[in-house]
Amino acid sequence: MRVEQKTDNIIIKTDAIQKKFELTKEAVFRYIKFFLIPGWRDPEFSSKEYEIDKIKSKRRLFRRLLTPLTVVGLGLILFITFLAVYAPWLTPFTLDQATDGGISGITPFLAPPTPGHPLGTTKFGYDLLARVIWGCRTAIVFGFITIIIASFGGIAVGTFSGYYGGRIDSITMRIIDFVLVFPAMILVIIIVQLSPTRNLLMILSIFGMFAIPWYSRLMRSSVLQVKQELYIEAAKTGGASNFKIMFKHVFSNAISPVLISFFGGVGAAILAFSGIAFLGFGDDALPDWGTDINYARARISAIHAAIWPGLFILIAVLGFMLLGDGLRDALDPRLQKKNR
Amino acid sequence: MITYMIKRLLLIIPMLFLILLVTFVISTFMSQNARLNQMEGLVEWEYILAERERMGYYDPWYVKLGKYFDNFFRGDWGTSYIVASGMPVTTLITKIFPKTIELVILPIILIPILSVKLGVTSAKNRNNWKDTIVRGIMMLGVCIPVFWLATLVQYFVGTSLFNFTYGTFNLDITSPNSISMRYPNSAWPFSTGFRLIDAFLFNDQVLLQDTIIHMVLPALCMTVIALAGITRQTRASMLDVMQKDYVRTARAKGVSETDVINKHSLRNALIPTSTAIVANTAALLTGSLFVEMSFNYTGMGYFMVSAIRLGDYVVVNGILVFNAIIILSGTLAADILYTIIDPRIVYT
Repeated sequence: MRVEQKTDNIIIKTDAIQKKFELTKEAVFRYIKFFLIPGWRDPEFSSKEYEIDKIKSKRRLFRRLLTPLTVVGLGLILFITFLAVYAPWLTPFTLDQATDGGISGITPFLAPPTPGHPLGTTKFGYDLLARVIWGCRTAIVFGFITIIIASFGGIAVGTFSGYYGGRIDSITMRIIDFVLVFPAMILVIIIVQLSPTRNLLMILSIFGMFAIPWYSRLMRSSVLQVKQELYIEAAKTGGASNFKIMFKHVFSNAISPVLISFFGGVGAAILAFSGIAFLGFGDDALPDWGTDINYARARISAIHAAIWPGLFILIAVLGFMLLGDGLRDALDPRLQKKNR
Repeated sequence: MITYMIKRLLLIIPMLFLILLVTFVISTFMSQNARLNQMEGLVEWEYILAERERMGYYDPWYVKLGKYFDNFFRGDWGTSYIVASGMPVTTLITKIFPKTIELVILPIILIPILSVKLGVTSAKNRNNWKDTIVRGIMMLGVCIPVFWLATLVQYFVGTSLFNFTYGTFNLDITSPNSISMRYPNSAWPFSTGFRLIDAFLFNDQVLLQDTIIHMVLPALCMTVIALAGITRQTRASMLDVMQKDYVRTARAKGVSETDVINKHSLRNALIPTSTAIVANTAALLTGSLFVEMSFNYTGMGYFMVSAIRLGDYVVVNGILVFNAIIILSGTLAADILYTIIDPRIVYT
């Protein structure tokens, strides 16, 4: 109701302005002022513009994004990113000292907190705080690169199968259904166990491969909607090649659901990687939250060594999930009506 | 409808063959010559060569594949050699699958009830303090790592309540009422595999108490994790339905609020939720890797992880095929349920 009243006021005032635009004495003076004095604006008009802008700006993306929960999520992500970027300055221990060699043997295993080790120590006497802080790098690298691989692959597969349709579409969809029958986590673990060397890059590429089906389904459903639009038909009659239509018209219009689900996917990937590491299939050469929990979980006297890494997993995943939810609420065209 | 069901059932057959093909490929990569490793160093080299010949080590891959299919359909899924050494995989599955079912009973009962109740409550009081609390808890449930939650629960409940002990069975071995005394070699005359049913059959209260105590915490952990996603989905679909025109019409007609929610909105909002619940039930039956590992609950997930870690490819294949069959039948059930709940959808 309030909005309607405002718009009524505006309409009345604009009518008044139109009356004033008739060439009266005042209007002529106003024109002269406008042309002669640099930067002069009609005070009545600028106040009206301000009111209109206030209504307009509510609809802007940034305003819609800045809900309290999204800001909290952004803060958590910034915190984790800060720890990851400035890790060498935040801990006195280097990456080598937190993973292998270094100080092992000097400090006791799973010791309670001391001034030298503010959070205590974990396996082989590594400093827990150092491992937690260096672990931020592992988590962020894993989360982002996995989802980038998965979304790129999913976009390619989904665009092709959705655009061409017919036999190609049905075959790819059967393959995707077949991959989704197996629990992805088990297949990833099996392949990680099979491979001779076990490093982070390999684990994340395998995980990204198995996340492709989800993204390709998402992309395909969106491409199928866009394909029916008039501008695609116009481009076809205009004589554009299939490739150009796919990557200029269809792709750019259908990509938004994949982009929206990006940050949520990063959070899920971090959670899944800590799970893989917890089961004992992680990269031992890197500090990792899941591995620390796996080591400390059975040692009841040293529960602190399991609490802190888990808390950091929770913070990282919560940050990305909150940001993803906020983005979806702000950008998803289906939800926009509700939020207004 | 019936033709559709028959068609879907027939579609499972090629799927099953593909699954077997994948497990065959996995086993060719994963097999570290189990039998030969056992024999190496114990017998002469010629015996090993003869054993290789007998096993079909030198056969081409298509002969191996044919033998694999043949053995599978005759019920010979191979014999485990590390995890449960000497035990056929089918026997192993009949022993461990009941344990997973027992673990999953509580989540299967709790999840549909709680998720629908919480989702409807939070959609009804949108942007209210109730909604905020439910959404906050469900957000945490999505983000929290299961194994961390399990560790914390083990620690805090274990220190505060003395009935829950760490790791060991809370079963007095000399208790006159326990199974171990009555059947010393644990060779029971008949056993269903379900510890709950066994406890009633043998009238063994210690076993019953022990089973329930060891099941409650992992079951609650699984419930919290699986609940979060489904509640969020219920809330979203409920909000979607409550914007529809027919709900507004019902309100305008003067239908009471409970009827608007329960009859007009919830019936329609449950369509996506119910399929999610069925799919989730199938996923639960395959066994949770993390919960079973962190509670040392010897179900399907526990044996899966330990078999992968130790390289017991026979057990891995058996459980993988079994899981895939469960998931396939779960999706089939979900599709059929979809037509029953929503009569507008007609499959041909």
